[in-house]
Amino acid sequence: MIALSIAGVLAIFLLYTSIAGGGTPTLKPSQLAGHNDRVSLVGMVTGKPSGDGHNTALRFHLRDRDGTAAVPVVYRGSVPDLFKPGREVVVQGKLVNRMFVAAPGTLVTKCPSKYAPAKSSNT
Amino acid sequence: MADLGRAALFVSLGLAVYATVVGAWAARAHKRRLSDSAGNALLAALGSTAVAGAVLLSALLRHDFSFVYVAQHTSTELPTGYSISAFWGGQEGSLLLWLLVLTAYASAAVLINRRRAPDLVAWSVPVLGGVAVFFAFMLVAVSSPFETQTAPVEGAGLNPSLQNPYMLAHPPLLYLGYVGLTVPFAFGMGALLAGRTDERWIVATRRWTLVAWTALGVGQLLGAHWAYVEVGWGGYYAWDPVENAALMPWLAATAFLHSVMIQEKRGMLKVWNVLLVILAFCLSLFGTFLTRSGVVNSIHSFTESPLGPWFLGFICVVTAGSLALVFWRLPLLRTKTRLESLVSREAAFLYNNLLLVALCLTILWGVAFPMLSELVRGETRTVGRPYYDFFLRTFGLPLLLLMGIGPLIAWRRASLRSLGRMFIWPAGIAVAVGVVLLALGAGSSVPGLVAYTFSAFVLTTIVLEFVRGTRAVGSFTQLVGRNRRRYGGYIVHASVVLLALGVAGSGAYGSSAERKLSPGQSLSVAGYTLTYRSLSQQRGANHIALRAAVDVSRGDKFVARVQPGKNRYFAEQQVSNEMAIHTDWLRAEDVDVIADQINPGGAIYFKVLVKPLVNLIWVAGFVFLAGALVALWPDAREQRRLAARYALAEA
Amino acid sequence: MTAALVLAALVAAAAVLLVAVPFLREPAPSEDTLPEPRDSVKRALAFAEERDRALSALKELEFDHRTGKLSDDDYRELVGAYRRRAAAALQGIEPAK
Repeated sequence: MIALSIAGVLAIFLLYTSIAGGGTPTLKPSQLAGHNDRVSLVGMVTGKPSGDGHNTALRFHLRDRDGTAAVPVVYRGSVPDLFKPGREVVVQGKLVNRMFVAAPGTLVTKCPSKYAPAKSSNT
Repeated sequence: MADLGRAALFVSLGLAVYATVVGAWAARAHKRRLSDSAGNALLAALGSTAVAGAVLLSALLRHDFSFVYVAQHTSTELPTGYSISAFWGGQEGSLLLWLLVLTAYASAAVLINRRRAPDLVAWSVPVLGGVAVFFAFMLVAVSSPFETQTAPVEGAGLNPSLQNPYMLAHPPLLYLGYVGLTVPFAFGMGALLAGRTDERWIVATRRWTLVAWTALGVGQLLGAHWAYVEVGWGGYYAWDPVENAALMPWLAATAFLHSVMIQEKRGMLKVWNVLLVILAFCLSLFGTFLTRSGVVNSIHSFTESPLGPWFLGFICVVTAGSLALVFWRLPLLRTKTRLESLVSREAAFLYNNLLLVALCLTILWGVAFPMLSELVRGETRTVGRPYYDFFLRTFGLPLLLLMGIGPLIAWRRASLRSLGRMFIWPAGIAVAVGVVLLALGAGSSVPGLVAYTFSAFVLTTIVLEFVRGTRAVGSFTQLVGRNRRRYGGYIVHASVVLLALGVAGSGAYGSSAERKLSPGQSLSVAGYTLTYRSLSQQRGANHIALRAAVDVSRGDKFVARVQPGKNRYFAEQQVSNEMAIHTDWLRAEDVDVIADQINPGGAIYFKVLVKPLVNLIWVAGFVFLAGALVALWPDAREQRRLAARYALAEA
Repeated sequence: MTAALVLAALVAAAAVLLVAVPFLREPAPSEDTLPEPRDSVKRALAFAEERDRALSALKELEFDHRTGKLSDDDYRELVGAYRRRAAAALQGIEPAK
C-alpha cells in the first residue's frame, strides 16, 4: 500500500513539473548570451542607476559578482530600499536586443547579512 | 579570556570524544562503571561548554572588541538585550548555542533515564556524543567564536532590521527545537544498537519530541509574525530556503508524533518510525546548515563558507550510518501485524503520514533544486512560489480534511453505518457553510473555498468529539485529564484549522492596490478609502523616521489614521521599510499600508494590501501552544502504568 | 592571562573528576556488568506491551462504542476477540516470571 501511495505522489509530482516546467534558470550576466527565455538574473549593481521604477523606468547595470561581464537592465516596479550600487540583486526578465527587460515588481535585493531572510518587494 | 573560551571548548571536544568512543566500548563490553563514566562526560561537557558560553556572553556584554565575533556583531551603543542576542546572531555563536543546548539536553536525558534503562542509555550516549563531537570540532577547528584581534574602536553593530524583540525569542526557540530532535534520534539509534525492539525508547523520548516540535512550531510562527510586522512587504512566508529549513523538520516531526501512536496501539510501523526520526534529525541538521551558510543559491557560495563541506559530510555520515544500522536490525524490527482495513484510524494516520512526508519531500526538493540543477546541468535553476503553493494545496488540503475524518473513525475498522452517522453533522455543516460562502462570493478562489469548507468540517468534528466525550465520561475535566494526549491533540488540530483559515483568507481572498499620491489624494481598495494627508520627519536615537499620515475610511466613516514610512539609519547607512498595519477586528481583516517610494517633492507611491483573517494565524499560535501544553502535561496514572511495565526489564 | 589559564585548568580538572566519579565511588565493586534485559525478559516485555495494547484497545473500543463511533453489532463482534487477545497476552507474561 505504501508503494502505491509513493507512486501516486511521484505521479502528481511528475505531472506538475511536466506542465510547469523545471524551474527558472538563475543566471549571471556572463551566462545570459543565447538565452531567450524568461530567466532570473543575479548580479551586482554597478554604475549610476537612473530613474525610480514608478515615475520613470529604473535603469542600471548588473555585473557578475566576480567578473566584469555586465548587462544593462530596464525595470519598472517597486524598488527595494536596500537597492544601491554594490548590492547584489535578483531580477526576473528576458534578454531583448542586448538589454535585459525586467518583469515588473520582480526586483529583490539579497540580504547583506547572512542571517535574516529580509525580503523586500515581494507579494 | 578568549584563551579560557578556547580551552573550554577544547575540553568539551575531548569529553565528547570520550563519551563517543569510551561509551561505545563500554556498551559493547557491558561495563557499568565505564558506561556511567561516559555518561558523566556528557554532563561535564555541559559544564565546559557553559564556561565557553559565559566567556562569550561576558565579552558581548562588555563590548570587548578584541573578540572578532563581538566586533562583528555589536557596537558600543547597542542596547544590552541585543548584545545578548548577538550570541546567536552569527555563525560561530550559534554553533556554540547548538552545542550548549545539546549538552544540556543530553545531560538531562542521561540523568533521567540512566537508572531506569541503563542499557538503552549506554548506547544512546555514544550517539549523543558523536553529534557533540561534530559541533565541538567545528567550534575548535573551523569556526571559533574566540578569534582575537587588536581591538578596533567601534564594532560593526547589529543590522537594524534585527534589533527588535523577535531577535531575542525566535532563534533560541528554533534551536531548542532543532537540537531537541537529537534526543529521540539518539535513543532510537541507541535502541537499535542495544538490540531492543520494544517501545522503551519511544516512551522515554515522547516528551522530548513534543517539546522540540512545539518549540519549532512556535518559533516559526514568531518568525512569520516578525516578517509580517517588521520586514514589511505584507507577507509572512516567502518559501525562502531559510524558512523551509525549519518547516521541513517540523513536518517530519509531526508525522513521527502521529506514527508512534500507531506503534503504541498496534505494534506496527517500527521501521517507519525509526526512519522518520532519522529523517527529522537529518532535516534539523540540514536546517541548521542552511540557515548558517548561504549555500542554497549556488554551489559556489557553498565552497566559500568553510562550514559547508563539513556539514554536508556530517549529514551524509549520519544518514549512511543510521540507515546501515536500521538495515542491520531489520529482522528484529519486522512485525507480522498488518493493516486490517483501509478505512480505520490506523489507515487515516498512515495517510496523514504519507501526506506530511510527501509535502516535506517536495519542499526539500524545491530547496535542493538549485544545487542539484547546477551539478547536473551546469546552470542554477530555482523554483518559485507557484511550485510551493501547488504542493501546499495538493497535500495540505487533504491533510486538513483528514484531521476531521481521523477522529470519527474507529481503530481497526469502521463500519459504514456508524461512519455515516458520525459524518452527518460535520459534513452537513460544512456543506451549508460552503453554500453560504459561495453565495457571498468565495467562489473566486476554488482552493480557498475548499479550505474554508474543510475547516468547517474539522471544527465541527472537534467540537463534537469534546461534546460526545464529555457526555460519555460525565465531566469535561475528567475527559481531558484522562486523555491528555488525545484532547490536547484535538486542540492542536483546531489551531491548525485556524492557521489554514488565516492562510486561505489572506492568500486567496486578499486585495491590493497601488498608486502614487500627492498630499490630499486618495485611493480605494476593498471598500476602504485611503487619503494621504502629510509627510513628517522625526529624529530617533540612531535613525531618522519619515512618516506619512494616511487616513483610512470606510464609506464616509473615518476608521483610523496610519503612519507608514521609512527609517534611515545613520551608522549602518540603511533604510528600512515601516509598514503600517490597521487591524479591523470586526471585519476580521488587516489593512497594510506601505510607503513604497517617497519622492523628494512629497508625492508617495503607496501600496495597500487588504488581508482577511490574517490574524487567525497568530491566534492559532496561542491555541497551538495551549494544546501542546495539555498533551505534555504529565499524567501520574500513565506514568505509573509505564513504570510498572518496564519494571520487568529494569528489575 | 594567567587567570584564564588557571580557570582553564580548573575546568579541565573538574571534567576529569566528573568522568572518574564512577570509579572513585566504587573502586572495587562486587560486579561491574551493565544491567541488560535477558532474552526471557525481552520476551516478557514484548508480552507486556502486547497486554497493554490489548487492554487499551478494549478501553478504546468501549469509548468508541459509548460515543457512537462503533455500532452495537460491531462492538459485540469485536469485544470478544479483544478480550481473548488481552487474556492471551496476560498469560504470556506468566512463564517469564
